[in-house]
Amino acid sequence: MNEEKEEITEESQPLVLEKLREKFTDALLTDSDTSDDVFVVVNKESSYTLLEYLKTDLAYSFLVDVTAVDNSQLESELMQYDYARFMVVYQLYTFEGETSRVRVKVPVSEKDLKIQSVTELWKAANWLERETYDMFGIDFEGHPDLRRILMPDDFEGHPLRKDYPLRGRGERESFNFDKQNA
Amino acid sequence: MGLANTNIESGSSTERTDGNIITTTIDKVVNWGRKNSLWPMPFGTACCAIEMMATLASKYDLSRFGSEAIRFSPRQSDLLIVSGRISIKMMPVLKRIYDQMPEPKWVISMGACASCGGVFDTYTLIQGVDQFLPVDVYIPGCPPRPEDLIDAVMQVQRQIHKGELPKGSEVAYNE
Repeated sequence: MNEEKEEITEESQPLVLEKLREKFTDALLTDSDTSDDVFVVVNKESSYTLLEYLKTDLAYSFLVDVTAVDNSQLESELMQYDYARFMVVYQLYTFEGETSRVRVKVPVSEKDLKIQSVTELWKAANWLERETYDMFGIDFEGHPDLRRILMPDDFEGHPLRKDYPLRGRGERESFNFDKQNA
Repeated sequence: MGLANTNIESGSSTERTDGNIITTTIDKVVNWGRKNSLWPMPFGTACCAIEMMATLASKYDLSRFGSEAIRFSPRQSDLLIVSGRISIKMMPVLKRIYDQMPEPKWVISMGACASCGGVFDTYTLIQGVDQFLPVDVYIPGCPPRPEDLIDAVMQVQRQIHKGELPKGSEVAYNE
């Protein structure tokens, strides 16, 4: 059973990777098919076209998740990607043929916290990008409604950044009932 | 038997009782009624709410204590059971629900999260609902067992029976 599974992944997964390597030779920073899932790291300029290609040509129609990682305390990652603090991560899934996943990672530097929104491609990206904006402060350009989604509207800062204190900056103790979201 | 007519006519209720007339005060009668028909407003946001449901279901059966009439409208209830963690964003909602409940009203803070934040010592959680609600009874536990919730309801009943004011009205009068 296990052997069968391995054969499938070896055959189908690198196919996606080969196509991406061929089409985005200059844009790919890293790629890997060593784990169960395929992942590619792509530069910000080409990320939208690569995601569009994955969706329209390779039938990755399901956007599972959009999130980010704050690598500010992970020196090895920082060095590898020109000290870009954040890594925006897209998880894609296809139902066509042999179902498979692809992970697309895009380094975003703190100096230019902008990346093109993929809401045009997947409607599901709307709330996912809002969450990423809320938690990490990444600005998704072209998003129709980029507001906070989890934290209160008057919240300051982005709590999933590594420099945000776990116990907050006093917002637990100094709440205000006038500024209601209810 | 029945009420002795002559006593009522004469305006005296204690001369002859026949064992069927009880002399008391309005407050005591009203409180007796209140304590045996508490209408809880459940505010369940986490796993404590599951225990609350178990308490209301057939096995533990809160209706044995007269509190089975769960109302999801705060305007029809007089006992707020906060069961679960309350985030800063949820707080105004809970506060508004409490404000909508008619007086007199009691509050049970069920479980560690509602009472003190529990294990969630983070930027997003209120470290105890008593920071903005007058809590009458706290229940420890993570989550508390249904017996603990029954005990808390009975404690509220005892407070009502003794004629104690709910925490909320004390706060209101002091202000």
